[in-house]
Amino acid sequence: MYEVRFHGRGGQGAVMAAQALADAAFIEGNYAVAFPFFGAERRGAPVLAFARVDKGKIYEKTQVYEPDYVVVLDDKLPLMVDVTKGLKDTGMAIINTSLKPEEVELGRAVKTATVDATGVALEVLGTPITNSAILGAFAKATGVVSIESIKKGIMDIFGARIGERLAEKNARAAEVAYERTSVGICKGTLIYPEEKKWLPTAQEFPTGGALGLEVKTDAGLIGLGSFVENKTGSWRTFMPVADNSKCVNCKLCWFYCPEGAIEMLMNLPESEIPAGTGTDPKGNPKGIKIDYDYCKGCGICANECPTKAITMER
Amino acid sequence: MPERRLVSGNYAAAYGALRANVKFIAAFPITPQTFIVEHISEFVNDGIMKAEFMRVESEHSAISATVSAEATGVRSFTATASQGLALMHEILAIPAPLRLPIVMPVVNRTVAAPIGIWAEYNDVMPQRDLGWMMMFVEDNQEVFDMIIQGYRIAEDKRVLLPFMPNLDAFILSHTYEPVEFADQDDIDDFLPEYKAEHAHLWPDDPMAIGVFSPPEYIQEYRYQTEQAMEASKKVIKEVNDEFAKEFGRDYHGLVEEFMTDDAEAIMITLGTVTSTARKVVMDMRKEGKKVGLVKLRFLRPFPKEELRKIAEKVDAIGVYDRSISYSAGGPAFVEVRNALYGMEKPVIGYLAGLGGRDVMYSDIKLMFEKTLEAAGKGKADKEVVWVGTRGVNP
Repeated sequence: MYEVRFHGRGGQGAVMAAQALADAAFIEGNYAVAFPFFGAERRGAPVLAFARVDKGKIYEKTQVYEPDYVVVLDDKLPLMVDVTKGLKDTGMAIINTSLKPEEVELGRAVKTATVDATGVALEVLGTPITNSAILGAFAKATGVVSIESIKKGIMDIFGARIGERLAEKNARAAEVAYERTSVGICKGTLIYPEEKKWLPTAQEFPTGGALGLEVKTDAGLIGLGSFVENKTGSWRTFMPVADNSKCVNCKLCWFYCPEGAIEMLMNLPESEIPAGTGTDPKGNPKGIKIDYDYCKGCGICANECPTKAITMER
Repeated sequence: MPERRLVSGNYAAAYGALRANVKFIAAFPITPQTFIVEHISEFVNDGIMKAEFMRVESEHSAISATVSAEATGVRSFTATASQGLALMHEILAIPAPLRLPIVMPVVNRTVAAPIGIWAEYNDVMPQRDLGWMMMFVEDNQEVFDMIIQGYRIAEDKRVLLPFMPNLDAFILSHTYEPVEFADQDDIDDFLPEYKAEHAHLWPDDPMAIGVFSPPEYIQEYRYQTEQAMEASKKVIKEVNDEFAKEFGRDYHGLVEEFMTDDAEAIMITLGTVTSTARKVVMDMRKEGKKVGLVKLRFLRPFPKEELRKIAEKVDAIGVYDRSISYSAGGPAFVEVRNALYGMEKPVIGYLAGLGGRDVMYSDIKLMFEKTLEAAGKGKADKEVVWVGTRGVNP
């Protein structure tokens, strides 16, 4: 049996990738299982998905703790999460990055395959969704499943969700990525801060789970307002860039930003207003300031801006 | 040739409804069940399922509409989970005394508070006393098979009770695994069209169902329902055996024994934990430990005769529960111990996986080891053991 853990972000399709891999292995006559992480998932936040493949029936109905392979859909994830955690010594990491395997830094020096899946996806699909391309790399690097089966798995799973035409493009992305995958050993030089999570005992647990404002624990703040420590800016793939000279102070971006990460310059103290800022007809400074610590790069502001003063850049 | 595909537990349930030729579906979404009714809406929209698909405004309405449709004599279906099941409670009490053979899969999810979406049986356990046949499945194949078998058992004239297959949230509902779908012709032979004899509301042939009943009638209703529930035990076994002969999959009826013959200690498990426990038993047997497993498939009807027979062979019994009846222990534990009254064997209740916490291989192994220890000593140190709870020694 081999076990695979997929690392992605909510919305990147890690679960669909796990399903397509399991389907590919199933097509080859194996028993295969794919399942999501049993935990909270939000668009943009780091998420996990799993697959198990064996010749005969698989009985384990638990999560995967010691994978044979880890597949990373997002090149920035290894900076935040130790993707090699639990990975078997004989295992391999398959990573979406434009770097060569030898240039990749992870928590441990392990066998590593790399492919610029984002580049492939932009080239073939026109969007940076990497869940199909990375499967091509998985097939090439591991050899445990053929690229033909991967393409069929993509057609089955993606086809049912997004239609045959788009599924075909995704199968093509896997094929292109298959050709561009290289394998080596990564550098095990990344050091991760000790993982801190608030895990109280039954005795320490607050009565009724009631929590006040910004409760301090060894693992940081919990309760109301604890989000200030959760810098969601790291979830971003695209970043909004404002050209304040085009801004008309309509406040639509400020209103629609789901994170409250946009501030109108007119509401800031004078000392924080950049030199050369123009003014609107009412004489207010025009433009916005984006808090990149929390901006998730959802692009709603750019979409709403009537004067196209905000553009999304990779 | 039966087709074999990699599908989710929710899809298996939806496809079961399609293959069972369900004629009425009431649909209301709730995580993690939503995909069941969503898949069915697609089947109906695509014309591959000929059925009335009714969108309703709540789970209370979903079960009300399903009861009403079944009372007109058509095969009816709905599905729910968690808070949705809780909201149905009032109407869930109706189909059994009226003898309406609905099949309703429940995707077991924790009931608030606190709010969560993962597997726990505290949604279904409070519904035990309403006259539904209740069973727990282990994998996605069993989900599909028990929709088909469910209608066959429920519609049997000796039974005529509603049927509730339970599947674990996410561990099955959102997990893809291979499922074999029997051919439609073979399923049609196994599960012929439902012909309601006692209840078939129709303007041309008027009848009254569920009328106001003073005390001089209700006790007879209750006794009749109890008789039907007892009678279902034989029917479940018959349907199981015929299904096994026809389709090659034998679930052994009310309970399944796994390596129990010379076992000193056994675990009795519900749901997907059974599957991982099989692996634990196989591995512990290789170490020479005499352990066995009993898959408690049906909680209603409750297989007390079968469990007493199995208990006679062993020295200690552990029971796994994914929910707690406060101050009494897990519901399955309480019921098993009650069934074994007077047998003087240690029975231990294990609580794990509440709120969807992963029940790991090592957790299950611990349950077997503790039960083996009780078998050696002839008594249990603790009756109820919390496994994997921070600050609590198991």
